[in-house]
Amino acid sequence: MPREAEPSLNEKNFVLQALQDSVRLDGRELEEYRPLALTFGDQYGVADVTLGKTRVLAKASAELTVPYADRPLDGIFNIATELSPMTSPAFEVNRPTETEVLVSRLLEKTVRRSGALDTESLCLVAGQKCWSIRVDVHVLSHDGNLIDAACFAVVAALRHFRKPDTSMEGGVLTVYTPAEREPVPLSWLHSPFCVTWSFFGEEGDIALLDATWMEEQVRSGSCTISLNKHGEICQIAKLGGVPVEAVSLLQCTNIALIKAKDLSSKLDNWLAEDAKRRDKGGLLAELSAENDRVPDM
Amino acid sequence: MTTTERPIVLPGDTIPPHLIPSSTTKPLRLGPGLRHVPPSDIVPVVAGQLITNHQKNSMWVEYNNNRYLPTPGDLIIAQITRSGPDFYYCLLSPYTPHATLPHLSFESATKKTRPQLLPGSLVYARVILANKHMDPEIECVSQSTGKSDGLGELKGGMVFDVSLQFARRLLMSRSREEGKVEVLELLGEEGLAFEIAVGRNGKIWVGGEDVKVVVAVGRALRETDEAGLGVEEQRRLVRRLVKGMK
Repeated sequence: MPREAEPSLNEKNFVLQALQDSVRLDGRELEEYRPLALTFGDQYGVADVTLGKTRVLAKASAELTVPYADRPLDGIFNIATELSPMTSPAFEVNRPTETEVLVSRLLEKTVRRSGALDTESLCLVAGQKCWSIRVDVHVLSHDGNLIDAACFAVVAALRHFRKPDTSMEGGVLTVYTPAEREPVPLSWLHSPFCVTWSFFGEEGDIALLDATWMEEQVRSGSCTISLNKHGEICQIAKLGGVPVEAVSLLQCTNIALIKAKDLSSKLDNWLAEDAKRRDKGGLLAELSAENDRVPDM
Repeated sequence: MTTTERPIVLPGDTIPPHLIPSSTTKPLRLGPGLRHVPPSDIVPVVAGQLITNHQKNSMWVEYNNNRYLPTPGDLIIAQITRSGPDFYYCLLSPYTPHATLPHLSFESATKKTRPQLLPGSLVYARVILANKHMDPEIECVSQSTGKSDGLGELKGGMVFDVSLQFARRLLMSRSREEGKVEVLELLGEEGLAFEIAVGRNGKIWVGGEDVKVVVAVGRALRETDEAGLGVEEQRRLVRRLVKGMK
């Protein structure tokens, strides 16, 4: 496996020196995110997120399966992350590197364990049939801050996704195709977002948001805070690195809340725009299965 | 036909005969991107613009690709990865085989007085040997004169990645007219003090006292390259960056 390209001593020293004066290479402020763009695919559940040059694609899909034996009343929800060789020759298919394992663990804790998706609503017949929702995250281009981009993509894909409608009549389960009944959205409780802080310097006194790949190579520590717009924290992960003052960590969390609210409003806007685009002529409301049945003539 | 016609060619195209410069005294020289198929066919092997020079009786294709192929005589910026018994092993582009740089290939270097370079340092060097069967070799001193001509270790500063075509335009002798690249001259006119080393492998080293100046120069180069700015837009970009610096 070819080794990762290491930046030169000149670059490392320069980035650290510039940060002492609060100067970043692309001219951003220390707490400024790169331009974030989100496009949905034609199919429901496909979200393509670009954060500067980092690009992540998330696709949500559903299939019917048997629930786990120890949890007969819950559906199944999995997130699969893949860093493809498209991003760099250092990544190989099916051979997880450290970055890949970390991204997948953080996404699991943020989205799955926080209960963002209500798994009980995925159960169709207790102990026999349930929905298995799977989100595939593909990293297409890596220029730093994969975790924030991947989390945003996963949340966007799940909120955009529609699963087939079902009905249960006297013990017979019917699953409708999209042609018979309009697919329904997932039962979504809250939207968590990840905000990653990077620390630089011997004391860890310089902190910035949304590090590029070059800044990630020279950082001495990092902390990922996952929270939603209401200020409920799902997890805080600081895996080793330089020790940071507790007070600065609290300040970081406060700023992370502001960023999470900002991300949340951006996502809501994009979802609303996409719904308007698909809802031509305002007829989508007529297709909902909760409308009254037309009386027989 | 006018001599300024520069058609776009694709691999395998036939070149119209009137474009091939003909001269009875000098032999026709083919540059990169063209291959001679005996007995009398000239075929482009890459997609790009066909350029002909009737004075020198030569023709070549200007193209932009992402992978740098070492060619003898090119000036490049190499990063040292480790030191062997007689050579330094350097990387010209990531994930390629290492190039070798002899320990003594620096100006007035003997075994006792040679520069000790650490892994991770950058050098400005010239490619001596490059073919597809062997690892490339580079040098930091001119073989014939024994002088370094500006080659050697690059201390401090910052290196920025640009496309290969942009690096070539910067290295042209008349970059203002031919390459349409004025950014560096404009930045100098605004009074910024910096030095530059352009590597044909798509790396540009910028050195200077002030960190903000180096960052501004780097951003100007990157944005000119990525957005493909024309001369007028370069002027506006430089003015905006200098104002942002103050």
